[in-house]
Amino acid sequence: MIKKYLFLVLIVLISFHLSAQEWVVPAEEGVKLSPFAFNDSTRKVGADLYNTNCKSCHGDPGKNNVINLVPPPPDVASVKMQTNSDGALHFKLVQGRAPMPSFKNILSSTDIWRVISFVRSFNDKYVQVIDTKKGMAGTAASNVKIQVAWVKEQNQVQMVISGMKENKIQPVSGAEVKLFAKRYFGNLLIDEARNTDAQGKALFNFPKDLPGDSAGFVQLIAKLSDEAAYGEAKADTTLAIGVPTYRPPLNEQRAMWNVVQKTPIWLLLAYTFTVLVVWGFIFYVLLQIRAIYKAGLRKDHETTD
Amino acid sequence: MASEVNTGFLLDKRLDSIATDILRPVGISKGFLVWMGFLLVSLSGCIYAYYIQWDKGLIVTGLRDYVSWGMYIANFIFFVATSLVGMLISSVLGLMGFKWVKPIARIAEIIAVAFAAVAGLVIVSDMGRPERLPYVFMYGRIQSPILWDVTVVTTYLVLSTLLYFIPLIPDLAISKGRMGHTPKWLQSTYEVLSVNWSHTPQQYKILLKSVRILLIVIIPTAFAIHTVTSWLLAVTLRPGWDSSIFGPYFLTGAFVAGSAAVVIMMYFVRTNYKLDKYLTLYHFDMMGKLLVLVSLVYLYFNINEFLVPAFKLKTADAIHLKELFVGEYASMFWSVQLLGLIFPIILLLFKFFRKPLPMFIISVVVLIAAWFKRYLIVVPTQQNPFLPKQYVPDAWMVYQPTVIETAITMGTILLAVIIITVLFKLFPVIPIWEMAEEQCENDHKSQE
Repeated sequence: MIKKYLFLVLIVLISFHLSAQEWVVPAEEGVKLSPFAFNDSTRKVGADLYNTNCKSCHGDPGKNNVINLVPPPPDVASVKMQTNSDGALHFKLVQGRAPMPSFKNILSSTDIWRVISFVRSFNDKYVQVIDTKKGMAGTAASNVKIQVAWVKEQNQVQMVISGMKENKIQPVSGAEVKLFAKRYFGNLLIDEARNTDAQGKALFNFPKDLPGDSAGFVQLIAKLSDEAAYGEAKADTTLAIGVPTYRPPLNEQRAMWNVVQKTPIWLLLAYTFTVLVVWGFIFYVLLQIRAIYKAGLRKDHETTD
Repeated sequence: MASEVNTGFLLDKRLDSIATDILRPVGISKGFLVWMGFLLVSLSGCIYAYYIQWDKGLIVTGLRDYVSWGMYIANFIFFVATSLVGMLISSVLGLMGFKWVKPIARIAEIIAVAFAAVAGLVIVSDMGRPERLPYVFMYGRIQSPILWDVTVVTTYLVLSTLLYFIPLIPDLAISKGRMGHTPKWLQSTYEVLSVNWSHTPQQYKILLKSVRILLIVIIPTAFAIHTVTSWLLAVTLRPGWDSSIFGPYFLTGAFVAGSAAVVIMMYFVRTNYKLDKYLTLYHFDMMGKLLVLVSLVYLYFNINEFLVPAFKLKTADAIHLKELFVGEYASMFWSVQLLGLIFPIILLLFKFFRKPLPMFIISVVVLIAAWFKRYLIVVPTQQNPFLPKQYVPDAWMVYQPTVIETAITMGTILLAVIIITVLFKLFPVIPIWEMAEEQCENDHKSQE
């Protein structure tokens, strides 16, 4: 009986283990390829992106100093990591799954390919296949510009997009655009994805309660979704449209954890008062020893007189 | 101590006989030199061990990432604990009017001075960079219990020294003329330290007032010193330390250790100095009863300290308590609880065991158990932290004190014994003037 149970437990554990390890990539995603060739420049940018976004969990490539999570983040130089196809890596970075975050809103598709180019630099056997069907960028329009403005009356953020098409600067219409607000951890999608109208314009409803910095500034990131068609078009704009928020740093006020100059007043008073009282008595008693000595001197005089 | 002193005893010839008795063992004898020689030679070995630690750092000890407070801090707590008895005997019992503590008070004060003085050094032994000690005062934070501890240990040492020294002044003056058999430098020391004492009523008045102030001020200071020492542990979030009764738990434990130390010294004085006329069976009987009382109070706190977490068995507490009750530390834990607490309580309820020799043996066992009790408070908790132990060599996960560490700890104990020996042998250990005064009063009473 016990054996049966043990067997059952073992099966459950193994299946749980497998399901925890398996990360299924849809077939059409797995075959995706980078639209550009990996070279030293992409690897360098990729390395910087890796250090900022990935290293805290995946550690230094090849050193196997990953952090302890379930499932464990593989070392990027490991066989486990390198057996993924380029498309599978791209899919996994875009989607994420607990505890790995999704980088959909944080890194552009191009940046994700750059990270992959860095990851592949730890695989000597890797030979890149480039997606030749897609150009790198600008098939629909080139030199794309995004202008972001605040429409106060409607409480909306307006995006106007123009680009070079048929040798002429004209509005980019019918393109999917997204607006993000930069937060501590990643980018927050504002409103939802919209398509530009005939004038290349899109309007986003901006929440009234989004915290900004101490002056209410919010850093906005505007992006075109289709990188293949428009390139890495992106605009960073800072607008004073958030709720001014001031969170004092934990070491600003007097506190138990602060430096001695910022001791809580009650503690400073209690400590100083107690020490002064007790040492006051000690000094008083020391003076009494002197008094004993002096009283003895007088006695000596009396006896000698 | 009476607020008005009757200086009539000075003319009494009883003073003469008391002074002769008490001063007989005082001075530099052959035995003293041999004993001091032995202590100093042993100490030099321990100092060499400390030199190795100074040179190489704390890596020569068993202390690592998890157990960073091992034998040294356990030893520190033991020293602070033992020193508290000065306050218990002189102040608490003295101020309540118990006359029997008079001949014992100075013994208790000597223990207080010696142990408090060495306690500070014990802390330094735990420092990897002892030359940075001044930083505690330069950059110390008033918010930190470590600074409070440095403050109270220093204050308590000064108060205990004064409480030892001031009642000694009249005795130094009495001894001055009767120490012909001792070297000149010792006589000059007496001369200087007796600060011109000439037994005037005014001097007695000043002395009694000063002593009274000290007796009162030392009570909150002594409570503070050991409560703050307990806070060094209790303010951190660890199984076994995260307790709100750690202050009184430490304080009552201190009284057990200190009382045992006093009994040991009383036995020594009674047998070696032949002062059984002053440290009578009655004194031992009373000390035995005191030891039972403080042990019972300590037992009460022990039950609280272990029963409440053992009832709830929160995960980390469960691991910690299992280590103590049935695990790695079980034999030490139960030996300490039984030999250091339960058996002494039971035995000392019988009059036979409150006689000098049985009490001496019981007290030695209690004092040794008290040392190991501190070890049990410090080490097992650090071996079982809340966060998992990982990414360190296996040897760092457990704590095993090294020979060097043990030698340095032995050195601190030797140092305390040296201070006690010097104070016991070079100065009168029983207050002559107070004994004479008391006999005088008793005689007057019986005549009336």
